[in-house]
Amino acid sequence: MPQAIKLSELAYEIQETMEARFEGETFWVTAEISDVKKYTSTRRCYLKLVEREGNNTNTELRAVFWANYYTEIEQFERKTKQVFADGIEITCEVKVRFHPKYGLNLDVVKIDVAYTLGTIELERQKTLEKLVAENPKHIKLVEGNYITYNNKLPLPIVIQRIALITAPNSDGQRDFKQELEKNKHGYAFSVTEFLTQIQGDTAHQLIGEQLQLIYNSKENFDMVAIVRGGGSQTDFKPFEDYILAKTVATFPIPIYTGIGHDRNTSIVDMMAREHKTPTKVASKIIEHNFEFENSIIELKERLSQQVDLLIDNAKENIQSMKRLVKLASPANMMKKGFAIITQNNQIIIDPKNIQPNTEIDILLQDEIIYTNVTKKEKNAQGTNL
Amino acid sequence: MPKELTYNKAFTELEKLVEQIEDDTIQLDTLAAKVKEANELIAYCEEKLQGIEKEVKKAKEKKK
Repeated sequence: MPQAIKLSELAYEIQETMEARFEGETFWVTAEISDVKKYTSTRRCYLKLVEREGNNTNTELRAVFWANYYTEIEQFERKTKQVFADGIEITCEVKVRFHPKYGLNLDVVKIDVAYTLGTIELERQKTLEKLVAENPKHIKLVEGNYITYNNKLPLPIVIQRIALITAPNSDGQRDFKQELEKNKHGYAFSVTEFLTQIQGDTAHQLIGEQLQLIYNSKENFDMVAIVRGGGSQTDFKPFEDYILAKTVATFPIPIYTGIGHDRNTSIVDMMAREHKTPTKVASKIIEHNFEFENSIIELKERLSQQVDLLIDNAKENIQSMKRLVKLASPANMMKKGFAIITQNNQIIIDPKNIQPNTEIDILLQDEIIYTNVTKKEKNAQGTNL
Repeated sequence: MPKELTYNKAFTELEKLVEQIEDDTIQLDTLAAKVKEANELIAYCEEKLQGIEKEVKKAKEKKK
């Protein structure tokens, strides 16, 4: 009969050996994470670190973030705008630990955020390059900016019929609609909601499906707003997706994005018109309509000024005509001392018809002088009286 | 006014009218008609912006 020892004795033996080798030492490893289970209340996270060769897993070790190190995960999510979730690759510092009951575990004490940021940036550059390379007609890189079919679409002169893609009962949905409704100019809007999950693994597909629905009745909309706000702001990934970015870049209705990242700009933002937050998207729309109303008001003012001017001018013309007529009237002339000379009730304009020793009548303003012509000669003085 | 009016049409038409009215050769007897038309276009745009116009309502009904 073989000599058996207790299991715990063996375990103790293993533990001692492991401690002798690994005590006090840490290692930096790069691996994919899977089976991530986060317990936010107790601030622990259990996961597996995995290494694959093609489709086969060749290494898989259990790992854990204890409460003291849970901030590493929070920091990671904040800085990378990515959820700490299955499938991503991280570089982290671990301690090797063996427990008789729980077996082999890696205690994670630090995550190298820069590594993940680096891979995200690399991935992002690849996606952007692919977008430009495979859609040369619709996406161009000009002096660091992405000029796309969509973000160069002219905006309708007034935006009123809006297709809104957002998460149901979200802050983004509420903020956007509130901002539109409370607009001080009293503009009316018709907002049709296309509600969907806007974060998580399948969000890019779900958003794409909503865009397809909008496309099917595209003549009913002036623009599309994709908004997100509040809640977890960490998940940037859906908006970095190649297919969604391409759909946005080639979409035939102008798209405004307000997905709530003040410092970062996602690829989808670059393909559309980016306005950062749901509230800003709404206020841009109001501003756009206000510009139109302003130009109408301007035309209205020009119109009324011109009409006033035309009428004033006409009035003035009539007035000066009246004055002219009045000044030239015989009554007015006589008031100034001019006289009318008549002979046989005919007004004499040409004195050559008047003969000496004939009677003429001199009509003054108040009296008529009947007189006889005694003498006639050329006027040498002219009118220079 | 044309039957199928849009913001674009209304705006272009309005601009044209104002320019015509600003032209010194305008005849006073056509002024009234042009001013009336311009005012109708302005009212159309303002009412539509505020949503009194039917079209916006129609779009809302479609949604339901």
